Amino acid sequence: MTAQDTIRARARELLESGEVASFVGWEAGRFANQTTPLIISDPADADKLVFNEYCVNTLAKYVRDLVPRGKVGLVVRGCDSRGIVRLIVDQVIKREDVYLIGVGCPGVIDRKSGEPLKKCTECRHNNPVICDEMAGDEVAKDAPADRFAEVREVELMAQPERSRYFESIYAKCIRCYACRDVCPCCTCRECFVDARRENWVGKQNNVAENRFYGLTRVMHIGDRCIECGECERVCPMDLPLMKLNRKVIQDLNDLFGEFESSMSLDEGPEPLITYDLADREEFM
Amino acid sequence: MSVVETNEAAAQVPENWEPKIIAFCCHWCTYTGADLAGLNRMNYPANVRVLRIPCSGRMNPQYVIEALNKGCDGVLVCGCHPGDCHYVTGNYFARRRMMIFKRLLEYEGLEPDRFQVRWISGAEAGKFRDTVMSVVEQVRALGPLNLTREIPYFELPAVPDGEEAFDAVPEEVVPEEVSA
Repeated sequence: MTAQDTIRARARELLESGEVASFVGWEAGRFANQTTPLIISDPADADKLVFNEYCVNTLAKYVRDLVPRGKVGLVVRGCDSRGIVRLIVDQVIKREDVYLIGVGCPGVIDRKSGEPLKKCTECRHNNPVICDEMAGDEVAKDAPADRFAEVREVELMAQPERSRYFESIYAKCIRCYACRDVCPCCTCRECFVDARRENWVGKQNNVAENRFYGLTRVMHIGDRCIECGECERVCPMDLPLMKLNRKVIQDLNDLFGEFESSMSLDEGPEPLITYDLADREEFM
Repeated sequence: MSVVETNEAAAQVPENWEPKIIAFCCHWCTYTGADLAGLNRMNYPANVRVLRIPCSGRMNPQYVIEALNKGCDGVLVCGCHPGDCHYVTGNYFARRRMMIFKRLLEYEGLEPDRFQVRWISGAEAGKFRDTVMSVVEQVRALGPLNLTREIPYFELPAVPDGEEAFDAVPEEVVPEEVSA
């Protein structure tokens, strides 16, 4: 029995028994090399679910909007499960609000190029970190040696060159906020960019406002980023957003000790919401 | 005008240019220290605009970006010495946050001297004066920071036309029926 069959069978059972009110997975898209996320509440729809190498979307963020309807079942890979941990730790949902069917993931394929997606080549945890049951076995996969290679590449540039590099990034940004919408860390009920009356960020699309949005997004996610790479995948302008996220993670690692966010439900506080009297002193 | 040219135009220092520095000062220590500097008739450059915040822990990184975007050439954030915070732990949180944020700004190409953080107590009027003087001098040496300028042109890839337009469509439309 393949993982896909197990997922279909379990989704039907869970929906029929009423244990979950809705189930989140993927369905086949228009073409064979395409899938879209699928939310079902009728057991008869369970056969629409698929699981293959084109399941590019991360599902965790959908749970936030489904929880008011009742318990949610969903398929989780490494990135989905860390997103769920993030939502639970951020008190957006409770652990008992979700029923997780784990699958090991060897990485998914970009349907345009046929190559593995960038986020999957950088993935360090392809098996779920939490789940209620596993559909199929865990998949062994080599973790990439250096997750900060692209950050170091930018750091090696001279200062004016770096300034120009990021300026060209912000000049391209169209501020569609897709990176925010897809991020499992961005769960504020009202995002600062939507708070029009406060007017944190202006309405113009220029480098200054885009930089304001970009830097604030990175600082808000900062120590909570699960490195799923979804922001980079959904960016319609193909901006290298993980270069910013990973820079913060790299600094947190250097300054406050090795750290990886959202690996389990009972880990200590994230580095930026706590402090240590023995922290490095740079501002004397 | 290309991006490079705009940057070079911004690097030209206008005549009679004076650096504009904004100093976010903690109410309990640095603001009091600045007050003491005034009481003691200490002279320091008028380039600095002091803004009072309740605690350095209140310092939002967005204030810094907004200040730089809106035309300041440098930003100084000051608070109580670690251990002296009126709210006991505020500046410990600020210390971590500002360490990360400063590195992020430098990564994005801001000169390190343009964003500085210092701990200045209510009794250290002289340290406040010295800090302001050194920050103003460092920023003056760097010249104006012109982040508000528009970057008017960004090169889009050339759009193919005619016969080439069809060849340029990536091979993604596979008209293959999905089974079941």
